[in-house]
Amino acid sequence: MAERETVRITGVHALSALGRGADALLAGVLAGTPAFAPVRRFDTAGRRVTVAATLPEVGTLAEELADTVDRACRAAALDRTHRAGAALFLAAHGGPHALPAPDGGDAGPEVPALAGHLVRRCGLGDRARVYTTACVSASTAVADAATLIGRGDLDRVVVAAGYLVEPDQFALFDAGRALAADGAVRPFSAGRQGLLLGDGVVAVVLESARAAARRGAPTLATVAGWGRAGDAYHPCQPHPQGHGLARAVEAALRRAGLPGTAVGYVNANATGTPYSDVSEAAALVRVFGAAAGRIPVSSTKAVHGHALEASGLLELVVTVLALGHGKLPVNAGWLGPDESCPLDVVTDAPRPAATAHALTLNAAFGGANTALLVGAP
Amino acid sequence: MTAAVLAEARWPEAGDGPPPAVPGFVHSAFAPLVVAVADRCLRARYGSGPLPAGNRTAVVLVSASGDRASAAHVRATVAAGGRVGPLFFFQSVPNSVAGHVAARWGLDGPVVCLSPAGDPRAEGAAEADLLLYDGDAAQALLVLIEQAPDGTPGEATAVLLGEGTRQ
Repeated sequence: MAERETVRITGVHALSALGRGADALLAGVLAGTPAFAPVRRFDTAGRRVTVAATLPEVGTLAEELADTVDRACRAAALDRTHRAGAALFLAAHGGPHALPAPDGGDAGPEVPALAGHLVRRCGLGDRARVYTTACVSASTAVADAATLIGRGDLDRVVVAAGYLVEPDQFALFDAGRALAADGAVRPFSAGRQGLLLGDGVVAVVLESARAAARRGAPTLATVAGWGRAGDAYHPCQPHPQGHGLARAVEAALRRAGLPGTAVGYVNANATGTPYSDVSEAAALVRVFGAAAGRIPVSSTKAVHGHALEASGLLELVVTVLALGHGKLPVNAGWLGPDESCPLDVVTDAPRPAATAHALTLNAAFGGANTALLVGAP
Repeated sequence: MTAAVLAEARWPEAGDGPPPAVPGFVHSAFAPLVVAVADRCLRARYGSGPLPAGNRTAVVLVSASGDRASAAHVRATVAAGGRVGPLFFFQSVPNSVAGHVAARWGLDGPVVCLSPAGDPRAEGAAEADLLLYDGDAAQALLVLIEQAPDGTPGEATAVLLGEGTRQ
């Protein structure tokens, strides 16, 4: 097999409750102040929990995705020709829109037609895929894009993902008692009660090293490795020992040709849910052994919330920015250690990032797990 | 690389009634249809299963509409100010039934759900191809399902793709 093409990240843009743009996202996760507040976007009367991390004055998901893709392409300095040669991999929830347009007009096309809409609006090539793989949608899209770039099938992929907190998923998570009744997300912490939802509309430009070099593009980071694996355990619960997630991490390391000792930070999936955080900790111990307790770990969902289908891309961008800036974000909401999560959780303040490689992990219903290994440029 | 078709099944075939109910899934025929067609395909290859650990069999579920009946029920209930039942949370994404199939048969490869804009089988086969190329999967169970616009069951196809010969 020919040597695999290196996959570079040359442009990013993100919207979250922390603000618009990469700078706002980085500043927010380093400040570590949770963005959860009472939901004003729709009526939460009768719900057990009434808070989420939402950005005021957002447009429709279609509008925000188009703007985000456009800004990521501009951040990557893609001209019209470069855009026309880019594929679009979109991660979003299927089904009807639950949020009306702010002006009462059309909320825009649903999945999968939304992908074609974005291709036309943003001048991208006509090769598109739409991922509806729940909370690993975006990270699976990145892994697939990296595979296809690595194989030489594609030179450039724009991966976009979007979730804006809306009443249907909010009601479902509330009904499933998945939301934290105390209004805080406390990953890996004693006393954690669950997750909270958050906005995330994100786009990332991935390119082959050759394509990026041809146009003199700056590199923010590399996607050095990736892995996907299933638990084969339960429709909704993760394997208690994190078997699938551990195999995803091992695949990412193997693909990167790196030992576990190369990993200096883990942006964890940890949602603040009692059962699943233990599963993730077990996966890290399974891969890294006793060293798992010495790798800095944080879940920034404690600050920006869980962006569902977009979470993997939002957290990839956080990881890229943290490596680039040299500081590791905090895991907010910490009350104290949980002995079933024996990890080095970054709790009080951002730490210096003395590492060239970081993992960002995601897991979803269906026992779906992904690991993306990010390399500093 | 083009993977071989190791087994293939459809639902309904002649004589099929509605697919059997699946514990934990309510209201919609989406999950029962996925399970019925997946079981039929895997039984043809593996009998009663499950597969031995480490089989790296991916589940690739391809559906443009997804579980339209459940989504419409949730939309109508929430719009009317009502409370949805907790089981709708657990079946709110196609991953759940994919995970049900994976757990039943011990399929420990990746779980991927796609909403195709073009030809569903071509898009699903392309996903299976890249997972096999990458090595995260050794084979892939492709499930293609669409519900009619009114949410009635529709039809589904399951295809097991991998190296080897059809039995």
